[in-house]
Amino acid sequence: MEAYRQEIIVGAVAVYMIFCVLTGLWAMKRTKNSSDFFIAGRSLGPIVVSLALFSSTLSGFGFVGGPGLVYSIGVSAFWMVVISSSGYALGFFLVAKRIRMIAELRNCISLPDIVAARYNSEAVRFLIAVTIVLGVMGYLATQILAMAVVMQAIMSGTVMFADIGLLACVVISSAVLIFYCVTGGIIASVYTDVVQGAIMMIAGCLILFTAMSVFDGGIQEATSIILTDDTESMMPFGAAGIMASLGWFFVFGLGLAGQPHLVTKMMMNKNISDNRRILPMSLFGYIMAALLWISIGVIMRAAVIDGVVPALTLPDDAASVFLSFFTNPLLAGIVFAGLFAAIMSTSDAFLNIGTAAIIHDIPKAIRGHSIKNELFWARIVTVLLAIVAASFALYSHYKDATLVAILGAFGWATFAASIFPVLAIGLNWKGATAMGAVTAIVAALLINFVVQLAGLVLPYGISGGLVSFVTSLVLFIGVSLITQRPELAADMEAVLDI
Amino acid sequence: MASKLIYLIFAIVVLMAGILIAIWLAEPVANSAGMAHPIIPGMQVGGDGGARLAHIGTLAFLFQSLLLLLIVCLSALGVAEHRRTTELAAYLGGTFLFSLLAWWQMYSGHQAYMESGSTGYFMGFPVATAWQVYGTWLGAIPLIVIYSLGFRKFIFTLEDEAKFDQLMARQAEQMEP
Repeated sequence: MEAYRQEIIVGAVAVYMIFCVLTGLWAMKRTKNSSDFFIAGRSLGPIVVSLALFSSTLSGFGFVGGPGLVYSIGVSAFWMVVISSSGYALGFFLVAKRIRMIAELRNCISLPDIVAARYNSEAVRFLIAVTIVLGVMGYLATQILAMAVVMQAIMSGTVMFADIGLLACVVISSAVLIFYCVTGGIIASVYTDVVQGAIMMIAGCLILFTAMSVFDGGIQEATSIILTDDTESMMPFGAAGIMASLGWFFVFGLGLAGQPHLVTKMMMNKNISDNRRILPMSLFGYIMAALLWISIGVIMRAAVIDGVVPALTLPDDAASVFLSFFTNPLLAGIVFAGLFAAIMSTSDAFLNIGTAAIIHDIPKAIRGHSIKNELFWARIVTVLLAIVAASFALYSHYKDATLVAILGAFGWATFAASIFPVLAIGLNWKGATAMGAVTAIVAALLINFVVQLAGLVLPYGISGGLVSFVTSLVLFIGVSLITQRPELAADMEAVLDI
Repeated sequence: MASKLIYLIFAIVVLMAGILIAIWLAEPVANSAGMAHPIIPGMQVGGDGGARLAHIGTLAFLFQSLLLLLIVCLSALGVAEHRRTTELAAYLGGTFLFSLLAWWQMYSGHQAYMESGSTGYFMGFPVATAWQVYGTWLGAIPLIVIYSLGFRKFIFTLEDEAKFDQLMARQAEQMEP
């Protein structure tokens, strides 16, 4: 079996991709209008929503960047994982019920629709839509690039595809992604998420057991090797220090309720009461999948320090080197399929919300109404958005990574800082005003842009994302308190009372 | 109650902003956010833990304590005002104390390790780190329990559901020609 390692891995990934294409074809029959395309007609059951929610949370970063970060900075990176229970809890306490109620009441199909209804403000809708488009471009470009790089790495190991180029890998992976997103919209996206989530959970579990067997003394032997080499790396704040760690706790924890691709999924469940089951199931799935993140990172750091494995060229190689050194080919195949699942489940969510922002929200904010024949244009724009993002990805890889890096800065932290106060607090506090919302969004975007463009390095590992998030929270509540309390529409007043 | 809670949340975030500024202005320490591993490329080390916390340890402890308080206050904000009962306050207060205990055990365990240079292990990790890995995660589990098991009591009661159905029915009537 070992002799066919690469072929088995390529086979597993190919089977997964064929499944995605078939799901797209199946979902096409169920997609009859833009509501089906963007929010699955609010008809999904709790298991589907749970799996879609957690698999979208854990992008390719969780399978590649996460283990790489643990390898590089030790326990500091754990903070992004251990915050998940607080993050999911806050997301459900603050957002899940009311976003679903407003979506049904006002027939909303996107997050900007929700905030426009809440604040009765097209300016807030426009700013949130623009934030989403900018963030989506950065996220999508990096996800597509990651998908292509991994595909090239595994395919070039086979005789048949030894000379395959990055461009071909971008085309193949993007084509599969575009196909099921265009044909089946969010219905295809969430049903592929179900399988993607299941693969990620199985992969996480199997990897944990494999990791425990690498050293005779299990995980404890690995952590004691790291502790002997550098005490801080294996202590609670890791190599990056206490403020970097607490910053991640803040931004990843509170910020989960401000991620547009996640909260949009909270609009899709059939019954509001399903939320009580969706929350624990999502958290369980996330933890199972995240086991891979922590266990690979710890084992690879210990293995390199101990001389079991040579030093990695790049920290992000941690997962692929672990798979080639310590797992059998079948498990490696499942994990690589899981990696593609993680990347694609996040990418399809971003394609969906980006398309909604472009064809539905920005025209509505500017002209007062969205474009005609939304379903047709949704499909066209999905293709164009993916092509532009893939072009960005290739340009950044071959020419200049600056643009994608800047757009990439519009990642988790910017979404958290600009959307969390407006959505999570705004849906639960009648005193929140449009002026407060606009101020918070603009401040969050500006701070993140300035920190990124100026390359500012703050002392003690304080991140620009943390500064922008705390600032936007202070400004949102502060400005809302000093501006005139808004007159809410009767139905909105009623929803905020429930 | 609503106005008091939002003022409390506002006070917490303002205090956190103040602490962040104080840490920013604190005497800088070389390599406080890590440095390159002396031998292995691509790997970072933390170095002298005591020096890194010398000027900001207490401030950072307060920052995180306030964040834990903020999490339970925001959870309370997510519950309709008329459902914020003493019982809910007790549950959320208990959650805060539990997560604060985990945070204290983690912080003090780290301090103790820096002083003694020795540590026990719990389920694969040094004790202080085990509090971070398991304690932090478990610290918020009561929130999940309150949400899921208390859903019909605090979050979306049958009465709430009926009110929402009425709201939808009224809207449907208005939409009819």
